[in-house]
Amino acid sequence: MRHLFLVVFSLLVYPTIYAQSTVCVTGTVVNEQNTKGIENVTILINGRYTTTDIYGQFELHVEKAKHYNLQASHVSYISKQRVLNNSDVTNVVIALKEAINSLAEVNINGKSEQRKLKESPLVSQSVSKTFLETNRENSLMQTLKKIPGVSTINIGSGQSKPVIRGLGFNRVVVVQNGIKHEAQQWGGDHGLEIDQYGIENIKIVKGPASLLYGSDAIAGVVDIQPANVPKRNSFSGEVNLLGETNNDLFGVSAGIASRKNHWFYRGRLTYRDYADYKVPTDRISYDNYIFELYDNNLRNTAGQEANASFSLGYKSNGITSETFISNVNGKNGFFANAHGLEVRTSDIDYDASSRDIDLPYHTVNHFKLTNNTSINTQNHDVFIELGYQNNYREEHSEPVPHGYMPKPDNSKEREFNKNTYALNIKDAMSLISNHDIVAGLNLEYQDNNIGGWGFLIPEYNRFTVGGFAYDQIAITDNFNLQAGLRYDWGLINTKSYYDWYPSTINNPDGSTSYVYLQRAQDKTLNFGSFSGSVGLSYIANNTTYKFNVGKSFRMPLANELASDGVNYHMYRYERGNLNLDPESSYQADFEINHDAEKFSFGVSPFINFFDNYIYLNPTSNYYETLQIYEYTQAEVFRFGGEIKASTTLFKKLNLAASAEYVYARQTSGPKKGFTLPFSPPLSGVVSANYTFNSFSWFENPEVMLDFIVTAAQNEIVPPEEITAGYQVLNVSFLSKLKLSNRLKPLALRIKLNNVFNTKYYNHTSFYRLIDVPEPGRNLSLSLTIPF
Amino acid sequence: MKLIKNTLYFLCIALSIISCSTDDETEKDLEKPTITINYDGGFPQACEQLKKGQTYVFKARVTDNLALASYSLDLHHNFDHHTHDDQNVPCELGPKKEAVNQFIYMENFSIDGDLQTYEIAVQVTIPNDVDTGDYHCAYSVTDVTGWQSRTSIDIKIIE
Repeated sequence: MRHLFLVVFSLLVYPTIYAQSTVCVTGTVVNEQNTKGIENVTILINGRYTTTDIYGQFELHVEKAKHYNLQASHVSYISKQRVLNNSDVTNVVIALKEAINSLAEVNINGKSEQRKLKESPLVSQSVSKTFLETNRENSLMQTLKKIPGVSTINIGSGQSKPVIRGLGFNRVVVVQNGIKHEAQQWGGDHGLEIDQYGIENIKIVKGPASLLYGSDAIAGVVDIQPANVPKRNSFSGEVNLLGETNNDLFGVSAGIASRKNHWFYRGRLTYRDYADYKVPTDRISYDNYIFELYDNNLRNTAGQEANASFSLGYKSNGITSETFISNVNGKNGFFANAHGLEVRTSDIDYDASSRDIDLPYHTVNHFKLTNNTSINTQNHDVFIELGYQNNYREEHSEPVPHGYMPKPDNSKEREFNKNTYALNIKDAMSLISNHDIVAGLNLEYQDNNIGGWGFLIPEYNRFTVGGFAYDQIAITDNFNLQAGLRYDWGLINTKSYYDWYPSTINNPDGSTSYVYLQRAQDKTLNFGSFSGSVGLSYIANNTTYKFNVGKSFRMPLANELASDGVNYHMYRYERGNLNLDPESSYQADFEINHDAEKFSFGVSPFINFFDNYIYLNPTSNYYETLQIYEYTQAEVFRFGGEIKASTTLFKKLNLAASAEYVYARQTSGPKKGFTLPFSPPLSGVVSANYTFNSFSWFENPEVMLDFIVTAAQNEIVPPEEITAGYQVLNVSFLSKLKLSNRLKPLALRIKLNNVFNTKYYNHTSFYRLIDVPEPGRNLSLSLTIPF
Repeated sequence: MKLIKNTLYFLCIALSIISCSTDDETEKDLEKPTITINYDGGFPQACEQLKKGQTYVFKARVTDNLALASYSLDLHHNFDHHTHDDQNVPCELGPKKEAVNQFIYMENFSIDGDLQTYEIAVQVTIPNDVDTGDYHCAYSVTDVTGWQSRTSIDIKIIE
């Protein structure tokens, strides 16, 4: 309380003292036993106040005086006082002794996030900022790909979408600050519109999670959590610089975070610009076509991204509220020689520059406004999340007549403009001892509009409401049972669409008519679905056992229900089905995780059954000379899992290996016996990480080797191709750079991807269908400058 | 160590149950049909010139390992040079121009009787009033599984 008073006081007097001449007191607070810096130590000097950073360092401007009364205090250490003269105000070193009661205090403060994850029967994994920084790739999902069970569908070098255990698109939910990210995620050629910088913590759920996340959380969830609230009276920031050789990328991202007492804010700007990426081949052979590449450049795959975000928050004892506003803007070119499967020639001089973005390309803008508020009382923690987002995407290509469609007069082939409004309310109650009861309500409204001369999905409005409740019962301290139930109801209203040009129809009586064909109908459909899960977790010292059974669901999408259009680039005619049921999936998960100091081991198998998986089935029939693909439902059986082990030798060398596998079979329907589209092959990573002694400027330098081994994927469905296996080696060097004692150390990372410039194909890449190999060797240099 | 042993046992049992219980269905069809005009009688050949008012029989040979299902024939203009054929024979293209009354032919046909080889033969009359110039002839074929193959040929329609 005294501290709080002083904080308020110091804030009040802040403007007056700042006007006078000041002295800068700097120093470090260390642990007496191991001389390591201590973070979050409260430093109080003559009424001014600050806290130490993660290295135990502090810096404080105080009014000039004869003596300075310094007090250093921390909840886990015995406080210390020191009187300083004017001559010894720089590089003050204070050693604190650990308080004996420190452990007890930590326990009172509640369970750590790690402990909570262990107690929850859901198979989930927490991804830290350190992991993101160490493994940073060109997009958020490519960074997360290293986690066993997570893979991606890539579109060129800068865009990718999440896949968990072989399922992607609308079967994985991405949540940012509590709100579901809603874009055109059904599409094959668009990526996740989220800035990968500034993220501190991601929770990845592998398994059925509709109970908590509603529709679409069938395969799992990528839950990007709000960054931690900054420390009191702090200001911090960082600048991230990135350069890459393969696609001549340069990227810069700068973020700041600050807090006075109750109020805090954060801001970030990111800009990235990259050229066409290089593949380790100078020609691409697709069917009977051959595309010669200039300088190994995959022509017209350049892109740029500009993102801005800002948040303002308030935190007091009982309430935390933060309002986020963000905008992600991107423009990406698509490979010029083949758009989809369609081979194209053009007068555009694509090779004039590797940096320009010519047709075909897309632009996307994603705007988000969200508020997260939590109110904590003795027995209730209430969370309210409110969000508005707008996703605006345009797809441009050279206007070409197709079928009966004459040549359009502009390049805007498709336009999607989607507004999504969401409200989540959740109450976590601790009314009965050993029971954590959580009940909640989710509401969402989507309004999707279309434009452009091409038609793929209709306009639609969609409203969903879901209510859930679950109870986590601590049978003993280490044995937890979680059971919950949810019901969702949804209404979807698709809008009719007519072609803007007439088609020729040969009537049975021999006459010919010219008709503006109807592609989508005005229809209102509603869906209801139960979901739920029951699970157990048991923690025995360093080992955690989990078992969970769950049912998840997904509402059919507007394109699955009502599309009736020609996708020229894929040489197919797509036909929706108004009779589709909500997709439902039943899954059993099992996990064992052993985490000890020298050795850790984990295995997480699963078995999954869909009674009505929705997919686009290629039929044997034609419509206006294009193959008809129909949305169909089939039973699907899947199993698989991940296995990982790691060990630390001589305290310096860490060896790790992991593998993931998914088996999928359609057990009914027209493709009975076949797998599912975009099935990732069996793959594994062997990693070695060696930490060297610090030398010169280099603090804890590490060398990391990742050897990725992927088996062939022989399990395919039309129109996929069998993909051969491959091995790729990535090497990185990481180090902190301590240039001076006064500055926070810089973080340096040099990474060499695809060391041997191996030519290989990724089965789940959008460009795989036209035989485009993955990017060649890439040297990237990244530098993080904290301040 | 005991933990690893137990886990490995569990995995072995799980794998053996799974491997016994699946893949008892018949072999999957993973082969695409084939389509070609590169044989005596295949029509049109690359850079073929078709006269207005004439009737031609478009012929291509298709095969499949299991059973053929459908095929289509598509004739459309290439006045804007939007693409080229896959015959590896470069054809001289006329100057680019706008379509006034282009010739469009789009028809689908089915192949009945579970045939493994078949010769497409489609009779097409080139109307007298259509634009002359560069055209494409695109064939495609599907098998019963839903695999598709395509081939396309640069042709010209002349007076």
